[in-house]
Amino acid sequence: MEINEQLIQAITEAVVKVMEEQSGMAVPVSGQNGEKVSRMAPKRSYAGWTLAKQGTDPKEVVIGVGPAFQREIKATITGIPLDQVIENLCAGIEEEGMVPRVIKVLRTSDVGFMGLDAAKLSGSGIAIGLQSKGTAVIHQKDLYPLSNLELFPQAPLMTLETYRKIGQNAARYVKGEKVTPVECTNDPMVRAKYQVKAALMHMVETEQVDPDILAIEWGREQ
Amino acid sequence: MKLIAGVDIGNSTTEVCVGGVLPDGSIRFLASASVRTTGTKGTPENVGGIRAALETACERLGRPLSDISLARLNEAAPVIGDTAMETITETIITESSMIGHNPSTPAGAGQAAGTLIFLEDLDKGMPGTPYIVAVSKAHSYEETAGILNAYQETLSIRGVILQADEAVLVENRLRFSVPIVDEVRHIDRIPSGKLAAIEVALPGQSVRMLSNPYGIATLLKLDAGETRAVTPIAKSLVGKRSAVVIKTPHGNIRENVLPAGVIHIEGEHTVSVPVDEGAEKIMGALAEAGKVRDVFGEENTNVGNMFRRIKTGMADLAQEASGSVRITDLLAVDTLAPVEISGALAGETCMEKAVGIAAMVKTEQLPMERIARKMRREMGIYTTVAGVEAVMASLGALTTPGTQLPIAILDMGGGSTDAAVITEDGRVRTTHQAGAGELVTLLIQTELGLESRITAEQIKRYPLAKVESLFHMRLENGSMQFFPEAIDPRYYGHVVLLTPNELLRIEEDLPMERISQVRREAKRKVFVCNALRALAAVAPEGNLKKIPNVVLVGGSAEDFEIPEMLTEELSSYRIVCGRGNIRSSEGPRNAVATGLVLSYLGGN
Repeated sequence: MEINEQLIQAITEAVVKVMEEQSGMAVPVSGQNGEKVSRMAPKRSYAGWTLAKQGTDPKEVVIGVGPAFQREIKATITGIPLDQVIENLCAGIEEEGMVPRVIKVLRTSDVGFMGLDAAKLSGSGIAIGLQSKGTAVIHQKDLYPLSNLELFPQAPLMTLETYRKIGQNAARYVKGEKVTPVECTNDPMVRAKYQVKAALMHMVETEQVDPDILAIEWGREQ
Repeated sequence: MKLIAGVDIGNSTTEVCVGGVLPDGSIRFLASASVRTTGTKGTPENVGGIRAALETACERLGRPLSDISLARLNEAAPVIGDTAMETITETIITESSMIGHNPSTPAGAGQAAGTLIFLEDLDKGMPGTPYIVAVSKAHSYEETAGILNAYQETLSIRGVILQADEAVLVENRLRFSVPIVDEVRHIDRIPSGKLAAIEVALPGQSVRMLSNPYGIATLLKLDAGETRAVTPIAKSLVGKRSAVVIKTPHGNIRENVLPAGVIHIEGEHTVSVPVDEGAEKIMGALAEAGKVRDVFGEENTNVGNMFRRIKTGMADLAQEASGSVRITDLLAVDTLAPVEISGALAGETCMEKAVGIAAMVKTEQLPMERIARKMRREMGIYTTVAGVEAVMASLGALTTPGTQLPIAILDMGGGSTDAAVITEDGRVRTTHQAGAGELVTLLIQTELGLESRITAEQIKRYPLAKVESLFHMRLENGSMQFFPEAIDPRYYGHVVLLTPNELLRIEEDLPMERISQVRREAKRKVFVCNALRALAAVAPEGNLKKIPNVVLVGGSAEDFEIPEMLTEELSSYRIVCGRGNIRSSEGPRNAVATGLVLSYLGGN
């Protein structure tokens, strides 16, 4: 079968038509008077929250979570509750004798920048960036945003055990110990299976980005 | 100008040297090149590498390959070396009675003794009895700490053994302080109801009580006989950060001496020596045997199989019946190998005694003539087999500034250490000794418990450093090196090897100090021992002091520390010893190829 632009357009039209029939109404593209209607979710206000402080404890590992974390999104792409993800990251850090601190990065939804922002606020200079869909990165304050210590790009393959190990590794970087990379499974089909869900979750996260507030203190229990 | 090429085929590299014969009959060196040897040394497959090397050299000269009017091949020493490792002791635990390992993060500190009880059975615990609680990983750290806290009032809990890596997490949630050992993989094999002792060392220290037989006796209330029986336990716990010893009625640990086979040495006297007697005895037997005719290993033992493998390998190469291939030398070295203890609960290892053996085979002659024929046919270059390797190497070595006759060369390669002495009257004595670079690699691999031979080879070659931050690393000699740009994060926290082009990570969890100590020790054991042995064999009247100059050539002479070790060692014999510098420009390489070109003059 040949896939071309016409075919994709035909499929899209068919899908939109079925959606219209099911919802009984046309999908609004623009309002009655022709003005643009935003389909973005309303932005949650974090005004009044404590801004994330610069850490001073050399044993500190900051976990920087995404803007939609534990609010708009409560579980990772495979349904692992985010409360448990945070618990395991913190446990890993604590087992290695370091101190975790959780902040929410609001400036960006990109995992690399999130990790770097958190690292710059971390007393040790090491941080974990964590998107709400589960993608994680271990970052260091002096690195470029897209260079990092360890990246875990395939969120659908993460387990609580992996998050525990990520926490442990981050803590070992603080101690300057030799770090064995966290063992990850690799599944080439993951992208095909989860691409749409990942894109949607990322949009939900990006909708909550607030460039005016860099990051706020979040805490382990939310 | 007539072009002459010297071609030296070594085990790992093929080197060529091109010289021009001037009208007055003298020689001018024009170019040299070095490539990897193709195929096994001494087989017609070598021609590919020779062609590549000659082409490279000619390119540097700007002359076509066909301008070379004569190629001179070395008559490679017909020796081939092989190595093997034999573990000669093993520790066996029958009925689990010991856990001693290095979890990265145990918690608490101190020692305690008590009866073993599983977390699930705490409700059956008797007040007043000291307990050590074993916890499987089915229980989370919150749950474990909660239960332990609840029972702390009624029961006397003295220590905790965890299956999961959660010692610090549990400790942070306990209201009382006890030693906690974690990462005990086979927790289900722990016998409940038995008396156990547990110890966690202070930071930076290792266990003191349980690595001492009397310490174990104190904690577990043992009598003199039982204390004797736990000595191997104490031995295997030396250096650990945490340990558990369980007293089981029939529990037993013993150190077995493995039947490792017997080596029969046939020489002026025939001597037999069991491998498990250790390197010193084996070398003693070798010396006792005098000039060695052949060496056999006992049938169906590791050492027997090793000797057989070497002989068949060499017979294939020389296309001779394996009966005519004889082992003429061997070098045995004592070492230690980390071996997993059978029956262990947490994958503990124990350093067991082992012997590393290098053996060397000598045949009648390598089929160099076949290579020469193939070169004549395929490359159209007139080729002759021109000279004995050791003699050519000595001639080449003489081009090192500051040398004079009589001169000795020490050619330290991969498989064998060769020595030759040329006296003022032109007489040459040569010897080939088993054991060189490859044995060092094997020792490094075994002693550090490395999985890959390649890693061991790289550790042998390059100095170490530890990347301590993204911007600096601490070098092996203690000095610090800083970088203006961040080091690739992959190297962060790792021990790395400084190769000329890049850093190489060492994946194994080994401290830099230990790696460098093992590396230096391995080199010293093999090269210093062999250099003295080889030089004594060629020295006039066997007296080392009669050799004024020793020039180090060959691959291992390029090593960053072996030449210094030998210089230091030989200076006590008042011998001038150092790395060669062939033609003042080539370093220790290219000695044979240079000698081959030089010898053309003598030949005419």
